[in-house]
Amino acid sequence: MAEYTLKLRRYDPQSGEAPYYEEFQVDLEPHRSVLEAILKVRGEQDGSVGIRCSCRAAICGSCGVRINGRAGLACHTHLDHAATSGVNADGRTILVEPMGNMPVIKDLIVDMDAVHWKKIQRVTPWLINKQPVPEREYVVPHENMVDVTQTMACIQCGACVSDCLSMEVDPLFVGPAASAKAYRFVGDPRDAEQYERLKDLAEDPHGIYDCTHCFNCIEACPKGVAPMSQIMRLRRVSSADHEIEDRNNGYRHEHAFVKNIRRNGLLHEADLVPDSYGGKLHPRAVPELISSLPTVVRGLQRGKMTPAKALLHQHKAPKEVKRIFDVIEGRDQRLELNLYISGTEDDESEAQA
Amino acid sequence: MPSHDVLIIGAGLAGQRAALAAADAGASVAIISKVHPVRSHSVAAAGGINAALNPEDSWESHAFDTVKGSDYLGDQDAIEVMCREAPDEILWLEHAGVTFHRNGSGHLGTRAFGGASQARTYYVADITGQAILHVLYEQLMKHHEQVDRYEEWFTTTLLQDADGGCSGCVARDIRTGRLEIFNAKSVILASGGAGQAFRPTTNALICTGDGIAQAYRVGAPLMDMEMIQYHPTTLAENGFLITEGARGEGAHLYNAQGERFMERYAPNKLELASRDVVSRAEQTEINEGRGFPDGTIALDITKVPRKRTLEALREIVNIGKDFAGVDITREPIHIKPGMHYIMGGVKTDVDGQTPIPGLYAAGEVACVSVHGGNRLGANSLLDTLIFGRRSGEHAAARARGVAMPKAPAAVLRDAQGEIDAILARDGAGRRVSEIKTELGETMNQYVAVFRDAEGLSHALEVVRRLKEEAPKAAIDDKGSVFNQDVLAAIELGYMLDVAETIVLAAQERKESRGAQFRTDFPERDDAEWLHHITVSRGDDGAPRLATAPVTITKWQPQERTY
Amino acid sequence: MKVAYWPGCVSRGFTPELHGSMAAVAPLLDIELVELDRASCCGAGVIAEHNQELADTLNARTFALAQQVEGAELMMNICSTCQGAQSECQERLDANGEYRAHVNETLAAEGLSYEKGLTNKNFLWLLVEEIGLDALRAKVRRPLTNLKVGPFYGCYIVRPTDRLGIDDEHPRDQYLHQVIEALGGTVIDYAGTYKCCGFPIITMNKEASLKQAGRHLGDAMDAEADCLVVPCPLCHLNLDLQQPVAAKVVDRELAMPVLHLPQLVGLALGLDPKQLGMSKHVVKPTSVIDWTTAVVAAPAAA
Repeated sequence: MAEYTLKLRRYDPQSGEAPYYEEFQVDLEPHRSVLEAILKVRGEQDGSVGIRCSCRAAICGSCGVRINGRAGLACHTHLDHAATSGVNADGRTILVEPMGNMPVIKDLIVDMDAVHWKKIQRVTPWLINKQPVPEREYVVPHENMVDVTQTMACIQCGACVSDCLSMEVDPLFVGPAASAKAYRFVGDPRDAEQYERLKDLAEDPHGIYDCTHCFNCIEACPKGVAPMSQIMRLRRVSSADHEIEDRNNGYRHEHAFVKNIRRNGLLHEADLVPDSYGGKLHPRAVPELISSLPTVVRGLQRGKMTPAKALLHQHKAPKEVKRIFDVIEGRDQRLELNLYISGTEDDESEAQA
Repeated sequence: MPSHDVLIIGAGLAGQRAALAAADAGASVAIISKVHPVRSHSVAAAGGINAALNPEDSWESHAFDTVKGSDYLGDQDAIEVMCREAPDEILWLEHAGVTFHRNGSGHLGTRAFGGASQARTYYVADITGQAILHVLYEQLMKHHEQVDRYEEWFTTTLLQDADGGCSGCVARDIRTGRLEIFNAKSVILASGGAGQAFRPTTNALICTGDGIAQAYRVGAPLMDMEMIQYHPTTLAENGFLITEGARGEGAHLYNAQGERFMERYAPNKLELASRDVVSRAEQTEINEGRGFPDGTIALDITKVPRKRTLEALREIVNIGKDFAGVDITREPIHIKPGMHYIMGGVKTDVDGQTPIPGLYAAGEVACVSVHGGNRLGANSLLDTLIFGRRSGEHAAARARGVAMPKAPAAVLRDAQGEIDAILARDGAGRRVSEIKTELGETMNQYVAVFRDAEGLSHALEVVRRLKEEAPKAAIDDKGSVFNQDVLAAIELGYMLDVAETIVLAAQERKESRGAQFRTDFPERDDAEWLHHITVSRGDDGAPRLATAPVTITKWQPQERTY
Repeated sequence: MKVAYWPGCVSRGFTPELHGSMAAVAPLLDIELVELDRASCCGAGVIAEHNQELADTLNARTFALAQQVEGAELMMNICSTCQGAQSECQERLDANGEYRAHVNETLAAEGLSYEKGLTNKNFLWLLVEEIGLDALRAKVRRPLTNLKVGPFYGCYIVRPTDRLGIDDEHPRDQYLHQVIEALGGTVIDYAGTYKCCGFPIITMNKEASLKQAGRHLGDAMDAEADCLVVPCPLCHLNLDLQQPVAAKVVDRELAMPVLHLPQLVGLALGLDPKQLGMSKHVVKPTSVIDWTTAVVAAPAAA
């Protein structure tokens, strides 16, 4: 048994008071979960502590909270790990707060309808059957179903939404959970509207190109759904398979970057911005270039960039790099290794497999 | 005041399926759930769902396996209905979007499961319950105009009209504390089991027997309450479930001497014998000193190729890692039998009807009975969907011939009075959680795998004492926003009512059959005991025991070996 | 120690002061930098988004080139984004022999082959794990006493934790804190330490991008930091080059100098701001320069 100090953020909406932190001392074995500790507090010390919980086994998704500032499931987080992680860890104190990006109803309970479920509903989260519907089952390749199982494994706990940094600055961002849900359909061969779903999310200024690529959702997810990876897959299918050139510069930026490296081997920043808008003389790029002028001027003034360097960056092996682009982009089908499906090889056993 | 043709209480698989079926039939539908629907305990069902979809298979074979699995206590007409309708249900689910596993040719693939004469379990990795539940919820979101959802509303009472029929319920909006009357022409209880009356249990904290107790309190008979399933593979410390799918994929059970002991108890089916047989085998090994020091048995999943484990048993890889510190692909994991499911419940016919007009029940809350004395793995998911659908259809049809009830406002005052009484408790009594712990430990000790008259008698004493104590149990939260304390107090009452009926039924059946094993009556006795035991609340409030016949159609009872 | 050195693209492009300061600092730490001048851009996650095999192959080539450097103990990068993008590719390459063989087929024409298990460390990790905080402390000539430094890690070097080898034995997500302290500085706690600078969406949603940068800079100012330190030149671009624009987006005056990690280390080892290219920053690191001159004019003798 070990002693832990649970520091819980309390909020009683009926009191008229601001939220406050309350500390509870609890004695439990170190491998027990933070949820067990909170339930012990609720059972023995203060029955008014509010937290959603049900299965205790990381499958129902009820107990999403922020522990030491990071979202996760309370039932899935061990006390000893929680007390020793983070810069301010003291081996005994565990800070538990409600999830972020969502309004707080009471204590550790947030209003998921207002944010999480609203966004899920926005992506038309039901199968739109490809016609004709067969008499028996749709025939679907084994790997396809396993692939979609990754996003099907989402338990809607909200941890990814809680910690999404794009959503912090842009509350309208469709978000990681809804994007993963969208991929569940885009990746399902039985769905009839792959193009429509992608076009919708690509053109939405708060859609898939609004993701700031920070990995917080991948880190927060207790089920390996890897929402950000699903967003990247949505982008990939949208741009490569459907050539959807969105108004948000997502498609153009991706292609500009790839073209840039293909040509130069290294990134030539000066080309990247205008090309992301459509090209140096493109009508769309001109206002952006004009508004970037002060920044460019400052850079030049400081000696950061010189016109010569900006335009004549030379790479030592341009032909070799180009060859790789040619070989791989010339393939009939994209090759993608999804570790969720293939797993990581075991040194000893898989060598023979 | 919401008024609907069909009101469904509970939004797990049975409830959601009933809602979709009733909406499809054109009824106005409301579904109430005390948690968000995707948090319902159906989400934890792992291994799969049975159906004789394979052309080489037959529903008769599935039905026989089920009858035998039930130790001949299951009602064969209901079992026939369930097994006959199973294949179409699987296809309905698949078309709705469930991501069922595919075999090499792209068709639905199966895995082996306990008590089955051939592989007929359809699955999604080891998250089958979750996959189906989430797809049903997707459909509910699609049909949001036809089905009104009341998410995080707690049902406190079932309402009855002047003729004793069920006319709706009173429920509390958990977020605000406001009570509301829900009028309905038909009510379908789909609120699941009562595992929290045992400690430990695989069941979620929300499985507190709400619907079973509510039905009991309005006079509906409960049936087969003594039949409590102890699942063979649960983690010792916290009761977490390790799916039967592991054994379906090829895992073995070993005692501390390294013996694959199932060879002695079930020479043909070994680890895939029916659950009661395996649990008893394990418990016997443990009781006779061949278990590990912590009272467990070893489940060896390293027998399954690693790649297959990672693909099809990913969830238990995670459970092993997160909750037991074990990598199941490299070492055995220690398990023991744990309380898991209640075969008993509210007595219904094959359309989910109880004897109370307008009151239906489907899923674990109900007892049709398709599981009899023991449920086969992967039959529960099937049960919820078949009878959920049938109840929904029947209730929708019934609505066409019934007038909409309108409960008097006084009903709200009464319900509020009960809540106020809880809030007004002086706090001198023991805490709710303490009473609940004592109940759970008592049930797990005396009403578990092996039972006897003395133990059951002691259990009944404890339950009755706790029933007296419960109305004084102390709570802390006096607020109205998300007051989980008050709900826990109400749930405690439900659990105690249900526990009492379980013990009484176990005492009454002086025989061993299915999950009930009496060390003082170790043999099955068809001559005396081939019938169901029912428990109803008499007019004086006291429980009354009776019997109900077992319906036999094709399969005469035989000796049951695996 | 000898390292196969991948300087990245931006350090030789828009943040030349990073490349220069690393070159100046390396000899003081007894690091011999063998530059991988034939290697290509890591893809910054964008190429992987476009085509995984392409990103994996370009980086496998970089790794193979690094493995060819005679006597090099490991590969070193000076960019959080390179670290993250390359680790993601390496994870796939190392996880599956068949895939790795397939990628090596493409490299074969150049006579290159990637062998599983390359060690690729960011300069920050190298400082703590290879050189060691004690050794670093011993080399300090101008302790950063009273310099209040806010660490800004950059997403790609702290998440996801398992891929980046962050665990109890290697608390890599605390190294920047530890280095600042080892150099004698004061770590400033502020909200933005582990957040995103916004660079990846600068062309897709400029407002959201610079709102992030602006907020973190503002939070650091509120916490009274003298400067931020970042191990990533892409972060540096959004936090320094774009700082005036970010100020407009968050509607507050911002004046927060942003230092590259080698610059901070260089200051403590006795080099001057001018030597470290700090005059090239858009946001004049006045507080830092003032601080430097306020301290003993010349660093203590070795």
